[in-house]
Amino acid sequence: MVTVALPETIETAFDVQGLNIFYGAKQAINDIDLSIKKHEITALIGPSGCGKSTFLRSINRMNDDVPGFRAEGLIQYDDINLLTDNIDTVALRKEIGMVFQNPNPFPKSIAKNITQPLKEHGIRSKRKLTEQVETNLRRVGLWDEVRDRLDTSAYSLSGGQQQRLCIARALCIHPEVLLLDEPASALDPIATAKIEDLLLHLKDHYTIILVTHNLQQAARVADSTAFFYQGEVVEHTDTEQFFSNPKEKRSEDYISGRFG
Amino acid sequence: MNRKLTDKLATLIFTLFAAVIVLVLAALLSYVLYLGIQQVSWDFLTSKSSNFRAGGGIQDQLFNSFYILLWTMIFTIPLGLAGGIYMAEYAEDNKLTAIIRVCIETLASLPSIVLGMFGLLVFVNTFDIGYSVLSGALTLTIFNMPIMIRTCENAIRSVSPQQKEAGLALGYTHWRTITTVLLPSAFPSILTGIILSCGLVFGEAAALLYSAGMTTPNLDFGNWNPFAETSPLNIMRPAETLSVHVWKVNSEGIIPDIRDVADGGAAVLVTANLIFNISARLLGSWIHRKLTSK
Repeated sequence: MVTVALPETIETAFDVQGLNIFYGAKQAINDIDLSIKKHEITALIGPSGCGKSTFLRSINRMNDDVPGFRAEGLIQYDDINLLTDNIDTVALRKEIGMVFQNPNPFPKSIAKNITQPLKEHGIRSKRKLTEQVETNLRRVGLWDEVRDRLDTSAYSLSGGQQQRLCIARALCIHPEVLLLDEPASALDPIATAKIEDLLLHLKDHYTIILVTHNLQQAARVADSTAFFYQGEVVEHTDTEQFFSNPKEKRSEDYISGRFG
Repeated sequence: MNRKLTDKLATLIFTLFAAVIVLVLAALLSYVLYLGIQQVSWDFLTSKSSNFRAGGGIQDQLFNSFYILLWTMIFTIPLGLAGGIYMAEYAEDNKLTAIIRVCIETLASLPSIVLGMFGLLVFVNTFDIGYSVLSGALTLTIFNMPIMIRTCENAIRSVSPQQKEAGLALGYTHWRTITTVLLPSAFPSILTGIILSCGLVFGEAAALLYSAGMTTPNLDFGNWNPFAETSPLNIMRPAETLSVHVWKVNSEGIIPDIRDVADGGAAVLVTANLIFNISARLLGSWIHRKLTSK
């Protein structure tokens, strides 16, 4: 009897099966299957309205309050279907952090942007809070830029710095997964490069799902790329292969700029 | 050429309208202040009004105005905040909400004399509170509540939805998102709204005629026991406010210096309102600056 030792495959973080998403009568996601690996960067690309953001926001249930929103199927995460009605969204969102298109730091000091979520999740010790501010700002490469002005408003930072602060804020509560919804689309090329660099560093510790309009960005940072089109996943494969040798005609048309 | 002409014409017409508004306001203000300022003196502000003789002041009325304003705000702010939070964050988009909205709007547009009558029937008579600071404050609460609810609702709604998302995505509950993210961001607009409505409440007369009453007991400003009959702090005593006083002196006063007292009172009222409005603006922009820049 041969027992097959599990090969060193990378574990799956999310297993999506038969996912359908509706806004009222309109179907935004049409029966997709998708497997997302742990500690990899998965890029979701596709033209506007293709459903990639809808999918992303369904993972941490940010669409729950949208009128008419309805999701069917499975988004399996650690043996839990995230679409179950009785899921604790507070615990879920602590586990699965999110960063948005436009930097949205709280209108408070730089330090408070980190300490407030920590306090919210029960950390009271002054020493620990101060320590966490430094740790998390270092993690996003912001510490040296702001160490002398931690008490100034987060709005005094540049757009790129604000976005890195938002990433630090998302990381400070120790999520396993980071969802990023076009995090660099409002930033200039230098700030974008910094964010991309940061993501490459972070993927050792986090599972990252990145929605982007920028194909070069997907090619630069993502391990695998999923191409969404009209609510379906046309192709999901290794990034290099996707851009050099796509299997599907529609993928090829999209990356060569023939539509979208 | 034609389009350019139309454009110029439109600019001219709107500038004219603006000028008319400013002129009317400036004329009114300067008239009231010009006539009034001559009557206003420290003595006028700090002496009691007189029923028969000339030379009475407005001390008690001025105090009453502020005191009723204080109690009105103590009642209105929590109610307005609660209503605003409900309308902005909890009310679903359905028939019930639509009905509530119509109610609030109707309440906001009720003539204040009608509210005064309501106060007379309900607070003064039915609850048997009598003409008092409390009846007046409760009546003004109804007068002011719809405005406060709308102010708070708009302030909360005008916070960028991205701020709310930031809170929710960090695992804050809806309630904690409201208290730690939405309310602090909405605070400057709420505060400005509160101060502006202070001006409205301070100047209100009709709603108070038959609720706070048109008399004031002989107040003893040395007695701060809130249960004493002549204590300024007593909320169960009648309290004629400044605007009611101006109206009363004008319509049924028998003092020889009716015109002087009315002019002086009007000037003080207008000045107080100006202070409320200007400070609302200054405070609002100061907080905004503090929150958004270095």
